[in-house]
Amino acid sequence: MTTGPMNPERRRALACLAHGGAGTVFLLAGGVLTPFDLSTAGAPATTAGRPFLVQLSDSHIGFHKAANPDVDGTLTQAVNLIRSLPMSPRLLLHTGDLTHLSRPEEFERAAGLLAGVGSIPMHIVPGEHDVADETASEFFRHYGQASAGRGYYSFDHDGVHFLALNNVMQARDGGLGGLGEEQVAWARADLKGRGASTPIVVFAHMPLWSIYPAWGWGTADSGPILAELRRFGSATVLNGHIHQVISKVEGHVTFHTAASTAFPQPAPGEGPGPGPLVVPADQLTRVLGVTRVTIQRAGARLDEEHLAGMA
Amino acid sequence: MSRRRPLARWLAREGVAMLALLVAGYAHGAPAGDAGRGQQLYQGCTGCHSVDEDDVGPRHRGVVGRRAGSVPGFAYSPALRASGLVWDPVTLDRWLTAPQTLVPGSRMFYALADPQARADVIAYLATLRE
Repeated sequence: MTTGPMNPERRRALACLAHGGAGTVFLLAGGVLTPFDLSTAGAPATTAGRPFLVQLSDSHIGFHKAANPDVDGTLTQAVNLIRSLPMSPRLLLHTGDLTHLSRPEEFERAAGLLAGVGSIPMHIVPGEHDVADETASEFFRHYGQASAGRGYYSFDHDGVHFLALNNVMQARDGGLGGLGEEQVAWARADLKGRGASTPIVVFAHMPLWSIYPAWGWGTADSGPILAELRRFGSATVLNGHIHQVISKVEGHVTFHTAASTAFPQPAPGEGPGPGPLVVPADQLTRVLGVTRVTIQRAGARLDEEHLAGMA
Repeated sequence: MSRRRPLARWLAREGVAMLALLVAGYAHGAPAGDAGRGQQLYQGCTGCHSVDEDDVGPRHRGVVGRRAGSVPGFAYSPALRASGLVWDPVTLDRWLTAPQTLVPGSRMFYALADPQARADVIAYLATLRE
């Protein structure tokens, strides 16, 4: 049976993981990135190849309310899960809201916690909570070098081309993300010269696809970039912001949103609006995905077959 | 020393403000708010706000009746600081409907589409007295 993100069986597995995800491990095979929940990734990592990248998101270091009074602890759990992988991933992507209030001490503490992953190179895009200081400068003081202070840039790693986008500094009414004309033009030009067989990964904080615009879960002006991605044989679009795992496939473009390492949010449209969801304390690690779940083996086996078929 | 009964004293102290809030709300055509439900809905605001401490947004205790951009020490956007708004049920309803429409250039983007939800949250905010 062919399986993977384009297969309903795989979609069901992802749906089961909808409240899971201290982070997401992506395996690369045949130019296609296949996601596994970080807390369940031990088995596929050993049988289906080296994990290519890990996505973490929405760590909100500095947050200390009822939804999670120990965000340092849950990020540490995610870091420990990465360290426990049988093989070290080649990249770590953080899709923003690393901090809650953009305070210098929050960035310092987050950097200290993330140092626990060792020498894995990390790339990060800003979330709106990372640029909440008056001059929006603290994020760029720490992580602005790669983008020359713009928050968007591109790079290549192991034959995969990455675009890091900043959609939190030109947000629109209702909370929709915004990229701005300059960034959209830059991204289109960056993609234009690439061969269609180049695997592409685009990552940003807010969803680049319309998940639930009424709650601001989308990006107002991402359309031209998504259109540009359609000609590629493999394109993966990653984001955070909504604190839950949701995936979909359009042609050769696969979209994944990551869970938060800090606290969950309601499913799209459930309740009056987005915001931290308080769950009983003994269930928090479960909704952050740091508890192993029973679908682990089935999911791993299905994807192992899929990857073997792609090789 | 006052000889008035507790209820009478409370009405004398709070009644004018409460009446003003009610009149403002009804004049605006907004539904009556349920502060209890508003308190539950307020959980959704806590990603960026707290009652008694500044967060991404300013503290909310005392927000009703407060001049926009006036919490000491909070780093407001220049746009909100210069808005000249005073937070009452009408301005709060417009703010929660579309903050960037009411004050372009402010830093809040979150909106509540449901008029009843806005009324409930505003009713809860009105209970947060200093």
